This record gives sequence, structure tokens and C-alpha cells, in this order.
Amino acid sequence: MSRRSFIVGGAGLAALLGIGGIAKYAGVSSLLRPPGGQDEKRFIALCLRCQKCREVCPNGCIMPSKTEDGFVNARTPKMNFKLGWCDFCAEAYKGVPQCVKVCPSQALKLPDGATATSIKIGVAVIDKDSCLGWLLKGCRTCVDNCPYDALTLDENNRPVVVENKCNGCGLCEYVCVSLKNASITGRSKDRAIIIKPLN
Amino acid sequence: MKNMKAQNLRTLSVLVIGAIIIIGFITKIGIGNLSAVGIKNLSLICPLGAVETAIAARLLIPRAIIPFLIGVILIIIFGRFFCSWVCPMPLLQRWFPGLQAKEKAAKDAADAEHIEAVKVDDAAVTAAQATVEEGAKKANSFTLDSGTWVLVGALASTAIFGFPVFCLVCPVGLTFASILAFMRLFQFGETTISVLLFPAILLAEVLLLRKWCQKICPLGALISIIAGLNKFFRPTIDDSKCIAASKGINCQICHRACPQGIDPARPATSEVGLNNCTKCRECADACPYGAISFPFMAEKKAEVAAPAAEYWVRYRSELGFVCGAGSDRASPANQKGKQYWDRGSGRRRRLIRWRSK
Repeated sequence: MSRRSFIVGGAGLAALLGIGGIAKYAGVSSLLRPPGGQDEKRFIALCLRCQKCREVCPNGCIMPSKTEDGFVNARTPKMNFKLGWCDFCAEAYKGVPQCVKVCPSQALKLPDGATATSIKIGVAVIDKDSCLGWLLKGCRTCVDNCPYDALTLDENNRPVVVENKCNGCGLCEYVCVSLKNASITGRSKDRAIIIKPLN
Repeated sequence: MKNMKAQNLRTLSVLVIGAIIIIGFITKIGIGNLSAVGIKNLSLICPLGAVETAIAARLLIPRAIIPFLIGVILIIIFGRFFCSWVCPMPLLQRWFPGLQAKEKAAKDAADAEHIEAVKVDDAAVTAAQATVEEGAKKANSFTLDSGTWVLVGALASTAIFGFPVFCLVCPVGLTFASILAFMRLFQFGETTISVLLFPAILLAEVLLLRKWCQKICPLGALISIIAGLNKFFRPTIDDSKCIAASKGINCQICHRACPQGIDPARPATSEVGLNNCTKCRECADACPYGAISFPFMAEKKAEVAAPAAEYWVRYRSELGFVCGAGSDRASPANQKGKQYWDRGSGRRRRLIRWRSK
């Protein structure tokens, strides 16, 4: 091996170690992964960024993460409940989540016999400052839509999340009227109920 | 199609594959990109990606093993074909010649001049060093090159930080990531730095690391290692047509044409092993004598006694069609060849008899 290729090889080796280190710690935010990708350490070790899960999602609610989510996360899948919600493929594929089925490296993996009620993508969180229900305007869209009875009304008819029933399917976020076309925005920067990652 | 230049065929191949992947982006078939390409849950997995994820997660992924092995078998059969027929990087480097455009033009001119010189006057470039040199190493032996060290770096970094590090900067991944980022910008109005960052990294690799495919790419290095087992579709010299083999002229045209720096006419002494051959067919296109082909399996050549005697060379080339286009050496040192001659029958025997008069 020539001296030149030794230098090139060494530089490449060092560069990749550097990229690994920087990407690992620079600006990484925790993200809402598709079903079966909740163990973030395992997920990020296995995800090839092949886009298959995003492509096959019948509801189109998976999007590629942005560089702003951390360079290490760029192009990995995350849930976007503005575009759709996750019914765990109940309607289109009889409850077999396609993202999990197609993942070639099993970065998305569910235990055997996992169902919509046992999988947890994240948990819904209400922004009490912008939620119309909490502003006592009587809005109960999320409560009426939740398929898992994970939203109830308190004594003042304000929506409350029942955390152990919520599986983070995202329907409440999807239907929330806040920050939608032609809806009042006020102080809100996002929908008034959004799904947050578990960790 | 037959007369189409290999370079154009390669461009077409890369563009068709790119188009298929873009179709995957907008449909729900689940084609994926080249990290894992296929339909629905059937995919071919990037061999480097498979190794990286296995190291990062410290487990063998059951689902990835069979696709990985299929990849290995494809590499054993086709060698590094991925590098010139599938990977977008060589095409991008051709489209963006970058800072070294002048150098490349100079090299092209020098090559053209060289070819003319060889054609016009064989003797002018005769150095008679065409044949076997000392210490012939195994033609397919794998050589530790800079790419191998980059591969080691990629795997070490993956092991330390626990995620497939090279995937972040892989030009193949970044090509499709750039396309996807642009598509989503217009489809969903998704604004992100990625739209600028991915093409910027990609362009930096294309423009600044001109020897990416030969000296840096760890994926290529990994395929090269596996391709040590590849014995098929290797550039094969028809000695009766090759002026280096038949006349001892130091032609070097195929050597200069090879993007990998392989010397197809003298694989035994080539600095770069045949396992690095990407089956791009540039050498076959460059050879003015049409001496290079890529057969599924090369017919076994008997070991040649060093400088073939002038007589035998001429004899063989005149009777080229008789002895099977140089596949069976018929030098006095080769008893097998002699038998072959003796076995001649019919038209061939008559010819031989006629020759020996």
C-alpha cells in the first residue's frame, strides 16, 4: 500500500469517526417513531433510512425526519399526524401494521400478538392554552373521535387524556380543529392536542 | 443496442433504476431506495448497511440474513457491477467534472494520442515488457487499499456510536434523499434544511473527492472483498487479437481506460486486483483491436511460457480460427496444446498438413 492511500484511508477513517461522534450528540431530539420503533437506541442502530415504511403506510402518516431533528435522525421515519393517523392498518390490512412488516432490518419490530391496544406509539398531550375545550368554548372533537376512550371530559367539559388507554394513534391530533385551514389560531403554534414521544 | 457505447448503457441503467425508485416514492408499493430495494417485504439489502446495523445493534437481524446472502451471491456472480451499473456516483461525477475538468480533458487528449501512436506505429511504443514479470501475484487477490481503511473506520464508528454512521454521508443515500426532500418540498410544503444540506454534502463528495469510487467508498471496498470470490464476467483477453499478448507491444490502452486502474491485459501483475473490476466495459470499448470480452466464464488458459516464440505467435494467429481464438495455447512448451494439434481432423488436419509442407 502506498503512502498516499495510507493517508487517504486514515483521513477517511478519522472523518467517519468524527461524523459518528458529532451526529450522535448534536441537536438530537426524541421523535415519534412508527409502531415498533419506540426503543430509540435499538431503532437508530437498525434503521437503514430506506423509506419503505413511509412508502407503504396506507394513511400516509409517516414522514422522513428533518435535519433539524438531528443529523443522525435525518431521513429516518417519524409520525406526522397532520397528514393522517395510525389505525395500525386495521382498515387496509386487517390490523397488520405494514411499516413493521416491510422493515428490512427490523428496526420496527412488534412483539408477537401485538394489537392496537397493546402497542404504544406515544401519548396525547393537550395544550391547555390553545385548546378550545380548555378555553371553555365547548369543543369536544377529539373526545368524540378517540377510538380507544382515552379522552374524557372533566366536570367543566374540558378534554382530559387517560394516559393508560392512549396508544398515540394520532387521531385526536389529526382531527383537532386548532391551526387547521380557516380555523382560529390565537396564540397556538401547533394543534391543541399533539402526540408526544414516550421518553 | 449492440453497438451502443458502454458508457451510454451505464447511464441508461442508472437512470432507469433511479426512475423506479422515484416511482416507489410516489406509490405505495414499498420499493424503498438502494439501502433496501424490493417490493413490499421482499428486499435486497445494502451489504454495508446490513453489516453496519448488525454491528450497531450487536445482533444478527434474522430478516436481513437471507437478503444479505442473496447480495453476496450476486456479488460472487457479477462482481462489483453495482458500482458502474447501479450506483449514481460515477454518473454524477461525469455530469459534474468539477475542478479537475481541465486535468480530465488533458488525460483524454493524452489517451487519444497514445491510442493513435499505438495504432499507427506498433514499433514506436514497443517496450517488450508485455509478458510475465517477476513475482506474479494471484490475479484476484485482494489488496489492502485506502477504501478498506475507510471501511474499517465506518464499522469502528458504527460500533462505538451505535448507529450506521456511513449511511449518513453515503452518496447513494444522499442522492435519493435529495430527490425525496425536493419532492416533499413541493408535495407537502415541507421546509427543511435537508433540501439544501443533502445536495450540498453530495456535491462536495462529487466535486472534491474525485477518486471516491476508487479510493474512498467503503461500500465499494466491502464489495471488492466479497468479489474476491468472483470468477465470472471478468475482462478476458483474446490473445490472438491483443497486440500486447501476440506481438509483445506495450500497448496499455485498456490499462489507461480502466477507471479502477486495473491492467486487464496483465492481471497477474496489475497493481489493482481484478476483484475491483466494476464490469463497466470501458476497456472493451477502448481496445482498438476488440480483444477484450466479458464472457460468463473465461476458458482456462494454459500457463504461457514467457515470451512466446515469434514463430508460434504468427502461426497461431494465421490459424486463429483453428485453435479456438487463442484459448488453447499451442506453444512447443505446451504438451497439451501439441496433443490438440495432433488430434486435428478434417479440414483442420488438411490445413495443418498444408502448413507443414
